[in-house]
Parts: sequence; C-alpha cells; structure tokens
Amino acid sequence: MNQPLIKVDTVTKHFVRKTDVAERIAIRAGLAEEPKIVHALDEVSLEIAKGEVVGLVGESGCGKSTLGRVVAGMLPVTAGSVARDGQDIATLKGRAAKANRLATQIIFQDPMSSLNPRKKVGEIIGEAPRLHGIVPRGEVPALVEKLMGQVGLDPAMVNRYPHQFSGGQRQRIGIARALAVNPDFLVCDESIAALDVSIQAQVINLLVQLKKDLGLTLLFISHDLSVVRYISDRVVIMYLGRVVESAPTDQIFDRPRHPYTQALLEEIPRIDRRGHRFNTVKGEIPSPVNPPKGCHFHPRCPFAMDICRQERPPLVTAETGHTVACHLNAGTGQLPATTEQQTQQGVTQ
Amino acid sequence: MSETLLEVRNLKTWFETPKGTVKAVDGVDLTLNRGEILGLVGESGSGKSITGFSLLGLVDPPGKVVEGSILFKGEDLRAASNKRLQALRGDRIAMIFQDPMMTLNPVLRIGTQMIETVRAHANVSKAEARAMARDALGMVGIPRPEERIDAYPHEFSGGMRQRVAIAIALLHKPDLIIADEPTTALDVTIQSQILSEVQKLTREMGMGLIWISHDLGVVAELAQNVAVMYAGRIVERGTVDQVLDTPMHPYTRGLIDSLPMENDRGQPLKQIPGNAPPPLGRPEGCPFRPRCGFATDACLSEPSETGDLSRGWRCFHPLAQEVTA
Ligand SMILES: Nc1ncnc2c1ncn2[C@@H]1O[C@H](COP(=O)(O)OP(=O)(O)OP(=O)(O)O)[C@@H](O)[C@H]1O
Ligand SMILES: Nc1ncnc2c1ncn2[C@@H]1O[C@H](COP(=O)(O)OP(=O)(O)O)[C@@H](O)[C@H]1O
Ligand code: SF4
Ligand code: SF4
Ligand SMILES: [Mg+2]
Ligand SMILES: [Mg+2]
Repeated sequence: MNQPLIKVDTVTKHFVRKTDVAERIAIRAGLAEEPKIVHALDEVSLEIAKGEVVGLVGESGCGKSTLGRVVAGMLPVTAGSVARDGQDIATLKGRAAKANRLATQIIFQDPMSSLNPRKKVGEIIGEAPRLHGIVPRGEVPALVEKLMGQVGLDPAMVNRYPHQFSGGQRQRIGIARALAVNPDFLVCDESIAALDVSIQAQVINLLVQLKKDLGLTLLFISHDLSVVRYISDRVVIMYLGRVVESAPTDQIFDRPRHPYTQALLEEIPRIDRRGHRFNTVKGEIPSPVNPPKGCHFHPRCPFAMDICRQERPPLVTAETGHTVACHLNAGTGQLPATTEQQTQQGVTQ
Repeated sequence: MSETLLEVRNLKTWFETPKGTVKAVDGVDLTLNRGEILGLVGESGSGKSITGFSLLGLVDPPGKVVEGSILFKGEDLRAASNKRLQALRGDRIAMIFQDPMMTLNPVLRIGTQMIETVRAHANVSKAEARAMARDALGMVGIPRPEERIDAYPHEFSGGMRQRVAIAIALLHKPDLIIADEPTTALDVTIQSQILSEVQKLTREMGMGLIWISHDLGVVAELAQNVAVMYAGRIVERGTVDQVLDTPMHPYTRGLIDSLPMENDRGQPLKQIPGNAPPPLGRPEGCPFRPRCGFATDACLSEPSETGDLSRGWRCFHPLAQEVTA
C-alpha cells in the first residue's frame, strides 16, 4: 500500500472565537459577552495521496480553511497529528522543517490582499527563491520569467505593480509566487471565488495544466460544487468541524450517502434547472462555539433518530473508497431516494 | 395583461473623475412588470449595482444620472424631488444589499429598527408597528418572531441578518424590490431557503423584483427574465429559456460555456480570453471585440440593439444556435 503524501490523524483545533463588526460594537456597548472557544476542527482524519486532487467542500465556518492551514503546517493543532510522507510535521526541525514549509504552498481567495502593493511583480515572485536560495541569485530573473510564462503572464510586465493587473492576473501572480519555491503540494483556498465567471475558467484550466506538468498534489477548497466536481479526483464534505463524507468524485455526486451531502447537491443552483422550488434543508447552521450533541447535523436532518441526538456517528467505510459518518443503515448512511432501488443490490454485502 | 411597473429608457449614469468620465451605466433600457423577477447579470464593474442605485436616486457624487428616463408606475423619478424619492424609498421601492449590515444598525434591537421604519411611512401606533414587524419576520422564515424581534443583529447569523434585511424591505409591501447580490455571501443551503421565500413572496404579493447577481445558476432557477450587462450596457435580454438556451450574444454564450458541466471532466474548460475592459479604457465599437471570436471589421462601430425589450441583443453577428450541453 502506498504511503499517503498527507495523513491527517484525528486532528482537533480550537480557537478563541473571532468577532465580526456587529459583535465588536455590541461588546463595546455592553450588549454581548466576550467570545468563547470555537471548535473549528473536531477529530478530523483525512489522507491525500501523491498526485491526487482532493476537493474540500462545506459551508462557511465549517473548518475548511483551518484544515487547509493545519495541513500546510501554518497552524499548530490542539490535538492529533499531521504527517507528510509518514513523518509527523510537528516533530520536524531545522532544515527539514523549512523544506516541509516550502513544499506546501497555499493560494488564497483574495489575490490583492496577499500581494504587497508596493512591490513589483518581479520582486513578489522572485522574493522567496532569492531568500531561500532556490536558485543562484543571478538566475532569479530568468526563473521569474519562466514562472510568469508558466502561469500565462507576459514577462514584459515584470516591472508592474499588483494594482496594475486585473483580478485574474493577480491570481496568476499568486500562483507563480507559490510555484517559485518548487512545492509539490498546493492548498487552493477558494482561489477562484473572487473572480468573475469568465475569468474562473481561465484559472481552473491553468491549475489543471500545472498539476499535470509539475505532478502537483492539490487540496482544492471551494464552496462551488460544479468546479469541485470538474477538478477533483475525490471529494471530502465537512460539516461544522467534522468530515461527514468522502468518496471518489463520480461516486459522491451519483450516490451521496450523507443526508447533508444529499441536500447540498440538491440545492446547488444550476443553469439547466428553471423555476426550481428551493428549500429542502431547514434551519440554521449551528454555531461551532456550542455544536449540538451527537451528529452535528441532527437539528436539520429529516431522518434524525434518537441515537443521532446522543452519539457521534463514526466515519465508516460504506463501500470501497467511500466513507460516511451517519447512523442510518448501520452507519453506512443511505442512498438518495431516486437511485436507492436501482443500486441497492450492488451495495449490500 | 400584466401591469408595467418600471420603464427605464436610455439611462446613463456617469462618474466625472480626475482621469476621465467613467460611463458606469451607458444607455440602459429596462421594463419590469408586476410579479416579474428579472435577473440582472454581468461581471464585476459592468454596472449592475450603479443601475440599481440610479433607479432609487442613490448615486453618490461624483456619480450622476446624466441622461434617460425612469418611470415608476408612470411617475418620472428623474424629475422627482429628494423628498418624494425619500418617501418612495422603503415604502413603494426597497433595496436589499449584499451586506445586510448596510441596512441594520448594530446597536439597536431588530424590533426597534423595524418599528422606526414602519412609522416613517405609515401613521400607525407603536403596537401596530410592532405587530407588522413581527409578521414580516415570520414571513421571511425567522423562527419564533415574537421572541427574536427583541434580539440585536449580532445575535443573528449572516443568513438570519439577511432575512431581517429582507423583512425590512418587505414591511410596506413595496411594489418594487431591487436586490443587489443579497445571497452571494451566504451558504448554499441558506441561500436556497431565502430564494424560496423570495419566490413565494413575489408570487403572493405581486411585486416586481430585480435580482442582481453574477450567478447564472441562481438566475436560471429564480427569474423569468434575464438581462446581461457588459461594460455599462445590456448586451442581451430575454426570457431565461431564450437567453440561456439560445444565447445570441457571444459574451452570453461564452459565460454559459465556461461553466464546468458534468461531462467536462478531463478536458479543458472553454474560456473567454482576456479581461473585461477597464472603465476608462473601453475599446471603440463593440466593447466585447477584443475578447470575441466572431469579431469582424463591422464590430469597429457600435452595435445597436436588435429586437425589442422582451428579446434583444447588441451584436453584429448574433449566434442563433442552440447551446448543446
Ligand atoms: N484565528 C482564529 N481565531 C478565532 N477563530 C477562528 C480563527 N480562524 C478560524 N476561526 C473560527 O473557526 C471556525 C472555522 O473557520 P474556517 O476559517 O476554517 O472556516 P471555513 O470553512 O474556511 O469557512 P469559509 O467558507 O467562510 O472560508 C469558524 O467558526 C471561524 O470563525
Ligand atoms: N464612486 C465611483 N467613482 C468612479 N467610478 C465608479 C464609482 N462607483 C462605481 N464606479 C464604476 O462604475 C462601474 C460600474 O460599477 P458597479 O455598478 O458597481 O458594477 P457591478 O455592480 O456590475 O459590479 C465600474 O467601472 C466602477 O468602477
Ligand atoms: S446521523 Fe442521524 S442526524 Fe446525522 S445525518 Fe445521519 S440520520 Fe441525520
Ligand atoms: S458585435 Fe462583433 S465583437 Fe461584438 S460581440 Fe458581436 S461579433 Fe463580437
Ligand atoms: Mg475559508
Ligand atoms: Mg455590484
């Protein structure tokens, strides 16, 4: 059995809760209490194979970015461990720790806020290779030129500043900067969310091409399921700090087993559906400050049973490569009503 | 026959800036009937929000409506006084923004704000206003509105705050609502709940709704009609079926084709090359020309609108082909 590139083992991450503008004002006015502990990740386990593209999906605040940053070694865990090539990254020291940090790069949502506005593009892209001695100093300009070409930027623009580029071009700068230190693993955190539809396709095509050319492994975080479906080999669904389902892309779209995944897939707006009647999942997303007991989805789940309100459903393998955390059908979740009859035979062992 | 609510003709809203005139909205025509949901789509900077602000008389200097007419139930809003516009806003016409905190005051209880809004436009007692507010909260799906009405905005999630903002917009049962990307920041399951409420309310109350969005999927499922903006103009309009199934404009077609579909895996997505033109550097002629695969010399002059206000497009070489998935 091949060793995974990344192995996340029962990782828990707690934060002291961030406040938003409305809350900060309310706290100052004495209307709200000071923040409490946020359970951003609650015993999350996940493996990513070399060369795999894993899509990570879930609603706002469910812990996607936290998981991405934990995997990249940018955030210490509260409990559990993250291993890269079989080595716990928390135990790495000196040169090994640095190599590990460089080997994983994150590409963020907002290209502008992650680029220094006072630096020229050439400096932004060339900074890390110069600092870390990736290539001899004299060769940095040639490397920058190569990288700009690779991400589809005209190398003649090397002396321009970030504000002189469009959103899509800035995202390309961010990608070139990440590639400059020869990573083998990219965490793309909503990397295309801020781009216009007509630009998203350009950046997705670029990422796919780079993945092929450079043999990269990708963790692709997105709330856009059609993009995730297009790009990913495997999809992981999170809900309120936990992984609730994970399966090869076709399988999760054709035969989702978790009631939350099913609802999510059903409610993605699609251009081939007209005059749709919305609304299948009721209720609010609970707060990660005090998540509900048992299955986190139970207050919104139409199938919730007594056990769901008491016990956390473990993540179990329902079919080869398909794991789910749901108490239904002896912990294997359930297939969506329409396909259940047709496929039941094939899945009951 | 359906009743016309809004008629906009040749609307131009320009910004005089030190570097030149930004023609944010540059000749927009729109018609909206009662009970109609119109989706207004386009990329960022294409002029969607400024179109919405212009209708409400909310454009801030250096922006100014420089040309055109806005008829709301037959009344010329461009000729209306500020006082008249203020009276209409929040009463007959309401706007919902992407960020509900543009509508909500963080240090006031939800109920207090709503009661104020009610009493600004209607001569009712506090108790009556409170009852109206409570009913509006119930209408947008806030559970236990009787209790929640005394909460502060920070006690609500983003989705609930947006519902409250929608409830405030609905307080006076307006004839027209302009919604500027109100669900863009929300999660899919919450967006879905809000879209369903909005759909139901327009059907039941017969109001007209302009839904500004960059998400073609949302518009396909929510709206009856759609207008596509590019560089300050509407470049294509029609029913959702017409525009999405038989796009005439290469830009519309490019947008639809660039969305990843089930069968696209493993092959490159079709992409529109290039970027939207900067507001001060729009090319001569058809503004889409530098990105258009169908451009000819004819496109060096500006295409006028072909068709009419129910089905039209601005292009010298319309596609007239079905999109095959
Ligand atoms: N530095 C921090 N301090 C306090 N709380 C944090 C911090 N970072 C994240 N959180 C909280 O942890 C939870 C998970 O956050 P995370 O950013 O991982 O969510 P996400 O799934 O990426 O959401 P989104 O889709 O909105 O990006 C949230 O409740 C968030 O508010
Ligand atoms: N205050 C302003 N000064 C100058 N230009 C502006 C101002 N506000 C908006 N614009 C310009 O008007 C155009 C349309 O903006 P907007 O309606 O907000 O676009 P959209 O809502 O479609 O993203 C853009 O080019 C924008 O840069
Ligand atoms: S465990 Fe229970 S509540 Fe959770 S998703 Fe399954 S059926 Fe629903
Ligand atoms: S007018 Fe010409 S350039 Fe413009 S969209 Fe049509 S074919 Fe393309
Ligand atoms: Mg995030
Ligand atoms: Mg806008």
